[in-house]
Amino acid sequence: MENFGHLLEGFSVLLTFQNLGATLLGCVLGLIIGAMPGIGSLAGCALLLPLTYAFNPTTAIIMLGGLYYSNMYGGAFSAILLNIPGDSPAIMTTLDGYPMATVKKRPGQALLTSNISSFIGGAIGMVILTFMGPALADVGLKFGPVEMTALLLVALTSIGWLVGENPTKALLLTMFGILVASVGMDTLSGSPRYDFGNIYLLGGIPFTAFVIGLVGFSQVILLMEERKVIPQFVTDKLTLRGSMVTGHDVRRMLMPSIRAGFLGTFIGVLPGAGATAASIMAYSAQKSFKSEEKLGTGAIEGLAACESANNGAAAGAFAPLLALGIPGSGTGAVLLGGLMMWGLNPGPMLFKNSPDFAWGLIASLFLANFLALVISWGVIPFLIKILSVPTKLLIPSITVICVVGSYSTESSMYGVIVMFLSGVLGYVMQKSRYATAPLLLAFVLAPMLESNMRKSFIISRGSIDIFFQKPISVALLSVLLAILLFPVVRFLLVKAGLLKPGAKAA
Amino acid sequence: MSETSGTKRAARRFGVEQAIPLAAATVALFFLWLGLTKYGFWSDQRGPLPGFVPVVVSAGMLLVSALAFLFSWKEKAPTWPRESWAVVLSGALIIAGTAVIGLLPSVAIYLVVWLRLYEKCSWKTTLITFTVIMAIVIGCFVLWLGVRFPQGLILDAILRK
Repeated sequence: MENFGHLLEGFSVLLTFQNLGATLLGCVLGLIIGAMPGIGSLAGCALLLPLTYAFNPTTAIIMLGGLYYSNMYGGAFSAILLNIPGDSPAIMTTLDGYPMATVKKRPGQALLTSNISSFIGGAIGMVILTFMGPALADVGLKFGPVEMTALLLVALTSIGWLVGENPTKALLLTMFGILVASVGMDTLSGSPRYDFGNIYLLGGIPFTAFVIGLVGFSQVILLMEERKVIPQFVTDKLTLRGSMVTGHDVRRMLMPSIRAGFLGTFIGVLPGAGATAASIMAYSAQKSFKSEEKLGTGAIEGLAACESANNGAAAGAFAPLLALGIPGSGTGAVLLGGLMMWGLNPGPMLFKNSPDFAWGLIASLFLANFLALVISWGVIPFLIKILSVPTKLLIPSITVICVVGSYSTESSMYGVIVMFLSGVLGYVMQKSRYATAPLLLAFVLAPMLESNMRKSFIISRGSIDIFFQKPISVALLSVLLAILLFPVVRFLLVKAGLLKPGAKAA
Repeated sequence: MSETSGTKRAARRFGVEQAIPLAAATVALFFLWLGLTKYGFWSDQRGPLPGFVPVVVSAGMLLVSALAFLFSWKEKAPTWPRESWAVVLSGALIIAGTAVIGLLPSVAIYLVVWLRLYEKCSWKTTLITFTVIMAIVIGCFVLWLGVRFPQGLILDAILRK
């Protein structure tokens, strides 16, 4: 009940004209950006991060939270209508969403199913966040440099296995991200490192410009390959009445949404997992349950499961972000960067030192979930028109926003150059099937890992034994060992004929 | 065998998929060398030094690069459509143009040239898109956020006089 009281206080923080307006603006922008193919919440948050500089920290992060949250709703629109996922969590949405809209000719119902299941998943995630977030913070207080080192090692290692189809590539980019993050000043002594005497490099690689390039600008280059594709389907007229679901549809989507909401929230809490992994796992889990139609043919159950899971994960990811300062996804990394820029230090003390901020943000997520449901249903006919904006107009528009946004973060052309170079790097990586999310997560986590690891060694006077003397650290290092040994065990099981070669252990 | 989007049949010749692990190994070697020789690895009194993490990670990256290089021969070679590089070229031209005429005129010229000449859009579409984007840039970034964009050599020289 205490947390419920805090939540009510959070709503009192939220109920100012500026904060309500920021939530609404975040929701509208999130829906629009999410619906734009290839942009996604990560690029959306990165592109709009400079716009929040004019607000105070609470309002700014509330707006970004609303943007991030509603983006999950918007990401499904282009996935359902164009078979192009608006962002990576919506990849699974295409499997049943697009056939439901095209083959079954129920585009409105597909969109509304996605909205309702997103709302259910998000609501489950937020209730868990409300009651478990502060508990996680209490657990977090037990995390000193030793425990944090072990936890960050688990997070960094799990990125490699969870993101992308090729763990070697993910591991390579994770390590590259750590090296990129080491450019600038040493985290403990403040001495220059890998700066080559350059004053700009001495300040390190600017986070926002790096993200805008790696995610946003690289997507623009990739979009060039699709610019001549003309969306035919979206020219059909779609009305609100025509998008209503039946009672039977609601019954079909309810249980998959609830199950996936819990699963998604749990996965979202894990560092390095994120909404994409949640939607994939929820969809896989739904295959074990009964569905009225076969999954992949336009089944409501499949669509509901992945949409609910990715919104559950979006809410769940806030728990480690706020309570431990560990982002659960690339977008979480952007939000963490934003928090740090405003001088807020997410971690165990956040709920104690800045309760108005922490609870105001959680309250804003509840509001954003409701607003996103209402707005996304109301704007279904309008969004069809947005989606029909030709890619050839989108490309120069986003390029300009990338250039202007990256300049404004640094007030220097250094930001634009970093954006440009990281954009080309991101493009080459994505074309070569290297997922860039591990690089981004490692870039954010590496300074924390280095700082905590070196503090631990200083405390122990250089002895590694300190990592094996604390129970939490030992437990986390056991998880780390399991993650590292998992592929070896799987290989041996396949060799012994106990596991099919293509089977997933999850 | 049908081609998948953006990829060609299995490549046997040296390509980008091999160049990436090699480039990663080179970066790792460079960070390793600088870490050991310039920044230091370990001190008995102070524990790990600034080069500690980069050296450990670089060593690991060398191993992973070798693995990635070996696996890369089984990879399908990506295709590199020429038009994609037009965006890269336009980005480079905006950066170069900013030094001479300033950032806002550079992006304004880029928008018109790209839409009108490259995409062959009508004047109506070009002007509508131009107006919307420049309104966002000037309205949000210049007027709202107060960002002072670079004016370029020419305007700087004129204003200095």
